[in-house]
Amino acid sequence: MKRRVVITAVRVISAVGNTLEEVSRSFRHGLFPEIRDHVIPVDNFDLRNFTGRNKDIKYLSRGNQFAAACALEAARTLSAGDRAEAGLFLGAGPNLDLAQVPANALWLLNYLPNSAASFVTKTAGIHGESATLGSACAASLQAIGLAYEKVASGGLRFALAGGGDSRLSEGGLKAYRDCRALFSPETAGDLDPNEYYAPFSSERYGFIPGEGGACFLLESLESALERKARIYAEIAGAGASCDGFNMTAPQPEGAYAKAAILKALARAGLAPGEIGAVSAHGTGTELNDQAEGRALAGLFGAAPYILSLKSWIGHLASACGAVELALCLSVLRDKVLPPVRNLAGKNRMPGPPLNFVTSPAAADLRHLLLENFGFGGQNYALVLNKWENNGGGQH
Amino acid sequence: MTLEKLKVIFEEVLDIDPGTVGEETYVIRDLNAESIDLLELAVHVNEKFRINADDQAMFLRQLRSHTGEARIRGRYPHLREGREKEIMLDLEGGPVLKVSDLVDYIDHSLAAGR
Repeated sequence: MKRRVVITAVRVISAVGNTLEEVSRSFRHGLFPEIRDHVIPVDNFDLRNFTGRNKDIKYLSRGNQFAAACALEAARTLSAGDRAEAGLFLGAGPNLDLAQVPANALWLLNYLPNSAASFVTKTAGIHGESATLGSACAASLQAIGLAYEKVASGGLRFALAGGGDSRLSEGGLKAYRDCRALFSPETAGDLDPNEYYAPFSSERYGFIPGEGGACFLLESLESALERKARIYAEIAGAGASCDGFNMTAPQPEGAYAKAAILKALARAGLAPGEIGAVSAHGTGTELNDQAEGRALAGLFGAAPYILSLKSWIGHLASACGAVELALCLSVLRDKVLPPVRNLAGKNRMPGPPLNFVTSPAAADLRHLLLENFGFGGQNYALVLNKWENNGGGQH
Repeated sequence: MTLEKLKVIFEEVLDIDPGTVGEETYVIRDLNAESIDLLELAVHVNEKFRINADDQAMFLRQLRSHTGEARIRGRYPHLREGREKEIMLDLEGGPVLKVSDLVDYIDHSLAAGR
C-alpha cells in the first residue's frame, strides 16, 4: 500500500521572490524580473547569511551554494532527531565556471555535483540517505520524484528534495552559446530579450539563463497530520521516460515526453481532462517548444492553462524543476496564473492551439502538472494536488 | 611578519574571525582543523611564502613515533629551542601542533632557501 505524500516545507531563492508571498505578488502584478545582459541573476545572495562562518563554503560552486542554502533552511524545520533519520535528494549539474579554478588543495570538490549534499548532510546532521541526480535539466524534478517514491513506499518518513544551479559564469554561458541554445546577439541580433523573449511564440531565439534554488520537505500525509504540519500540496504522481534519440535534441513529436506524463497521470489516478494547468518546460528554444507543444496538444487538447515559468526566472538548468515547483505552489495556493512573458500580441508557434496564459489571471486549480525535459532526452513529470489546510485534500 | 601572514591564511582557510589565531593557538585542539584543512593550509603556505613545505614535518604529523626530546629535535630541527621539552610534557593533552610550530617551520625553510 503506497502512502500519500505531501509537501510540508518550501524554501526558494529566485529572481521572482524568496517566499511564496513575494512570488504571488509578482505574478499578480505581472512584475517580470529584468533580463540584464541576456541573463536573469539573483542579486544579494550570500550563503553565509544562512550558515554563518563555515570553512566548507569555499568548496561549493555558486549553484551548489543555492542548493545548500535552501536545503539547510528546509532541514531546519525538522528537529535534530528527525533530521538524523531524513533523506536528502538533490538534482545538480556540472560547475562550468572553468575560468576561475579555486586555489584550494581540494578544488576538485568545487566540480563534484554532490558537494552540496556533503555540505548539507554534515551541517544539518542528516544520516538517512542521500543521492544527487545528474539527469540534466530534469535532475531536480527527478530528485523530488525520487524523494516522493521513497516516502510513498515507506522507506523514509522525511525526505528533503530540490536543487540549485547557476550557469551564468563565463564558461557556463559559452557552453550554451556554442550550442546555439541561448537568446543571444548571435541568435537575436540586437533584439531586447525583455521584449522578445517569448517561449511558444513563432519567433524563438533560445533560452535566457537564470540561477537560484529550491528545496522541499516531503513526508507521508499521515506523518504531516500527526505532527500538525502545514501542508502546501500533495504530490499525487510522478513519471519518467527517456527519448533514446539524440544527445541534445528532443524527439520531435514529444512521444516519450508524453509517455512520462501519462505515467504520472496514471499514478495520480487522473485523466488528462482533470489537469487544470501545465507548468511546461517552455524554454523558448526552437526545438523544445515545438516538441513539447505537440505532446501537450496530443494529450490535453487546448483545455489546460499552459505556463512557462522559465519566461519569468530564466532557465535554471538542473534546478529548474525545483524552483518551478515552488512557483507552482504559489499558483495553487494563491490562485494566481502567471502569463508567459511577451506572448500577448505575438504570433504563436505553428501547430494545434494551446491555452497559453498571456495576462495575469486568477484560477482555482485542483490538479497541476509540471514537466521538465533534459539534454539527451531525460523526461520527468510530476502531478500536484491542491491542498486546503482546513478542508483537507481535494479529489 | 611570518606570523601576521600566517594568521591571514588561517582566517581564510578556516573561515574564522580575525583575532582568533595567535602564536600559542593549538591548530587542532583549539581550531578543530581537520586533515583537509591541513592540506589547504599547506597549499596556501607554499603559495604565499614561496616554499615547498614537507607536510609531514610542518604539521609534526608522525610526532608520536618520534617521541623523546632528542628524537623530536632530530626529526624536527626547525622547532624553536626548548619546544621539544614542552611537547613531551604536553602529549597527553592531545595534538600538540601550535601556530608557532608553523612559524618556525616557515622561517627555517626561508632561511635554508637563502
